[in-house]
Amino acid sequence: MKSLVSLALAGIGLACATGCATPNQKYNWGTYDSSLYAYYKVPANEPELATALAAIVNGSAATHASVPPGIYAEYGYLLLQQGKAEDAAKYFGLEAQHWPESKVFMDRMIQLSAQTKPAAPTAEAK
Amino acid sequence: MSRLVAGLVLVAVVSGSGCVTPPKHSDYTKFRSDNPHSILVVPATNKSVEVNAPDYLLATISIPLAERGFYVFPVNLVRGVLADDGLSDANLVHAGDPHRLGELFGADAVMYISIERWDAKYIVLATTVTVDLMYSLKSTRTGEEIWSNHQAIVYQPQGNSGGGLAGLLVDAVAAAITKAAPNYVPLAKQANANALLLKGTGLPSGPHDPLYEKDGAEF
Repeated sequence: MKSLVSLALAGIGLACATGCATPNQKYNWGTYDSSLYAYYKVPANEPELATALAAIVNGSAATHASVPPGIYAEYGYLLLQQGKAEDAAKYFGLEAQHWPESKVFMDRMIQLSAQTKPAAPTAEAK
Repeated sequence: MSRLVAGLVLVAVVSGSGCVTPPKHSDYTKFRSDNPHSILVVPATNKSVEVNAPDYLLATISIPLAERGFYVFPVNLVRGVLADDGLSDANLVHAGDPHRLGELFGADAVMYISIERWDAKYIVLATTVTVDLMYSLKSTRTGEEIWSNHQAIVYQPQGNSGGGLAGLLVDAVAAAITKAAPNYVPLAKQANANALLLKGTGLPSGPHDPLYEKDGAEF
């Protein structure tokens, strides 16, 4: 039922996309937009969003492509919310390293991560 | 604002033919001199009754902006940080000083979007779904607006069914489905694409695009 609507509506975008939009994308976004939408619709979908973000990071690494702007940081934020402050800081650092435009913000997030007490001792330390 | 494509209404069934270069050309003087590299998208203000519309819209905006060649700050993280700082009210954020946001995030420009309409109207069998968005990009250095756009996308599934009993049934089915679960996201994506990509009124290419500073004829 719902997919029928999406299909019908997607047709509009498709019709126009062929007419005016550029199909070649700079980045591989995976399911970033639909996963973020699903998360906003039902917050319990957070694990799926985390999986989607990790897939973009790993997929881009495998093909030596640039991870899209913001993706390392979005993933780091989910880790921070899960209490994995150390891992979060690592991804904030990766965002700043790949996208110098984010440095001011990411430095602040790394500082914030350092102040966040871990939820539980993590066995896996990198 | 009225100089821009104010009230450009694309009916879904004719949107294919609507993809022509708009006759008007925006003034890019301020945008060019400000030359933003990074864009902070803050949650949209909302005049519709759909309380989740700003979040749904937020999920659609990063990709077209980044594909235009700009660094786009992580929208979900920014949303969370603003909320933690007591700024979960989008109206407050929009009324605030872009310069302050620039300092907090290190952003060159802030994208403010106002949701004017995000609704579905049902009149007997006819259904109209509308997404109407106002875009305003402001410099964090000067606080001035350096680009703006307005897009209203209207979807009328009954518009092209051809009449007759079969057409009536198709309309009824379409109306029921839309009523059960209206999906505004494709319309929001179309509004974003029209606002950001169209030559003459969209955003010029950003620093991560090969056409950066080479698209002066189009923008």
